[in-house]
Amino acid sequence: MNVAQILNGVALGSLLMVLSSGLAMIYGLRGVTNFAHGALYMAGGYLAYAVTGRLSFWAAIVLVPLALAVIGAFLELVFFRRLQDRSHIEVGLITFGIAMILERVIVLIWGERTLSVAAPPALDGVSSVFGVDYPTYRLFIIGIAIVMAVGLVWWLRRSEIGLHIRASSQDIETASIMGINVDRVSLVVVCLGSALAGLAGTLAAPYVSLDPGMGMTILITVLIVVVIGGAGSIAGAMIAGMGLGIIQTIGMNWSAAVSVLIPYAALVLVLLLRPRGIAGRKVA
Amino acid sequence: MTTMSTESPLDTDHSAIESVARRRPAWIGLGVGIVALVAGLAVPSIITDFYTMQLVLEAAMLAMLALSIGFLAKHLGLISLGHTAFYGGAGYLAAIAATHWGWGPTAAALAGIGAGVLLALVMGVLVVRATGMGFLMLTLALGQALYQLCVQTSLRPITGAYDGLQFTFHPDGTFFGMSGRDVMDSAAFWKYVWGALVISVIVLWWVGRSRFGTILEGVRENEERMRFSGYDTFVPRLAAFVLSGLIASIAGVLFTVHGSYVSPSMLSFVKAGDALIAAIIGGLGILLGPVLGAALYVWAQSQFNDGGNLHLYTGIALIVVLVFLPGGILGGAKDLIDRFVRSRRKEKQ
Repeated sequence: MNVAQILNGVALGSLLMVLSSGLAMIYGLRGVTNFAHGALYMAGGYLAYAVTGRLSFWAAIVLVPLALAVIGAFLELVFFRRLQDRSHIEVGLITFGIAMILERVIVLIWGERTLSVAAPPALDGVSSVFGVDYPTYRLFIIGIAIVMAVGLVWWLRRSEIGLHIRASSQDIETASIMGINVDRVSLVVVCLGSALAGLAGTLAAPYVSLDPGMGMTILITVLIVVVIGGAGSIAGAMIAGMGLGIIQTIGMNWSAAVSVLIPYAALVLVLLLRPRGIAGRKVA
Repeated sequence: MTTMSTESPLDTDHSAIESVARRRPAWIGLGVGIVALVAGLAVPSIITDFYTMQLVLEAAMLAMLALSIGFLAKHLGLISLGHTAFYGGAGYLAAIAATHWGWGPTAAALAGIGAGVLLALVMGVLVVRATGMGFLMLTLALGQALYQLCVQTSLRPITGAYDGLQFTFHPDGTFFGMSGRDVMDSAAFWKYVWGALVISVIVLWWVGRSRFGTILEGVRENEERMRFSGYDTFVPRLAAFVLSGLIASIAGVLFTVHGSYVSPSMLSFVKAGDALIAAIIGGLGILLGPVLGAALYVWAQSQFNDGGNLHLYTGIALIVVLVFLPGGILGGAKDLIDRFVRSRRKEKQ
């Protein structure tokens, strides 16, 4: 086990952290397990490919989350808001259908072959960390994820809308009785959650290669992260995402067969022993 | 469960308790089943086209998997995304027994089914206490864990990893009296698949209307109240889960023997999703809904899969059904008939 391996784990954990915090936010508010989150991440990656080719990576990192926020608004207005009286499993299965459609549409646009995005020139080299040379771009991912995490938690704790989000996640009915515009809060949360999926996709594009299966593969891991973290808890999801990323990457060097089973084993243990997850119902 | 809207496909049969009270005698259903069983055997002499016969056979095998998922949804309100563990797990063990251990086809198939049931028992103990999304996530995770284990490079000598594994048909052996060439012939193999499907439907129908089925529905509606009323709720749930796993295992073994091959796709998330979607589109609230859904699914697959766009259409179909027709096709049809009968009754009065 060396520094580079640990940093690889942190980089993977950073991606999981960005993705799972968005999923956890949507789950906390609408109670919906968004099976389309992997597809949104994948859309983010492919859009980043398109924008990087035409403008630059820096444009992609701004534009792609915005585009995904628009898709999020569509999801909220067309599905989540109208179907809020339905059972959560049903709406979850609808997002499953959305994921299937979105993934296929992406393949129809960009094709089945694996694509890669070049990291911007400024981040393309290696930097020296703790005496080892490590790819600068991965450090950049870690940096962005930390900024995102701190910013998100600070925003949820300090701002008025953050207060409303936490209140609505605790008890959406009481929150609306107390005069919080729950529909507006929900729109903000779903847009932000989708934008974070887009950000994760953009960050991942130069790090992993883009392929049509990337959404489904990561979706399962992210779902597990959110459940382990405590469904609806953003801080819990962040901790679980980072922890799982590190443990899995380090475990991979030790035994690949055991390492791939870690998330599943962790999920079963958590659901059986502590069904509310490691963070319980605390939102942020 | 109590917070669900009445239209939910998961909140299946509101008149269930009532229907138990005024149910028809069992022999009518049994008679219908036996007639269907015998009539279905004529299918290969009607469908002479090789390709169509293959599709019908595939539909029947998918129908068994969808049926097993639908049974849990109908009677316990539990949605499983992990039934591929039994379907694929049973298939894999049968292939391992036939290829690595040199067992005869019948013995290997029975071993596969046994393994599937054992897996269902172990998994059931872990998952049946969970409800709703927890159950869905646990079954998904355990199913995926098995998939990940099977594709591991280090297990290549046993499972063949991504290459899959051959089901070696022992040259002297038979599969319940059928030769190696016949099991691969869709028309000849049909009677086994059809027989297994019809018997599964009859058994599940009979279980559903028995006292045991009523207890399951009580657990679905209010598990806590059932416990307070002095019922053990764990064992019935486990038994229903294992029964459902048994049917999925039989389907997986039939699929393996017919194709003489197992691949990781049998265990995949996509396969679990396909079977669940077929069940939902057909209608989870009615026993035969998943069977209809599976037939439609395989038909759609043959018609619309040009360029791999099948999932685009199934995604759309899933959303349309869930949004506009939450009971699925058969559920919607049943509502229409009920409404018609009620209006007729009113007219008479």
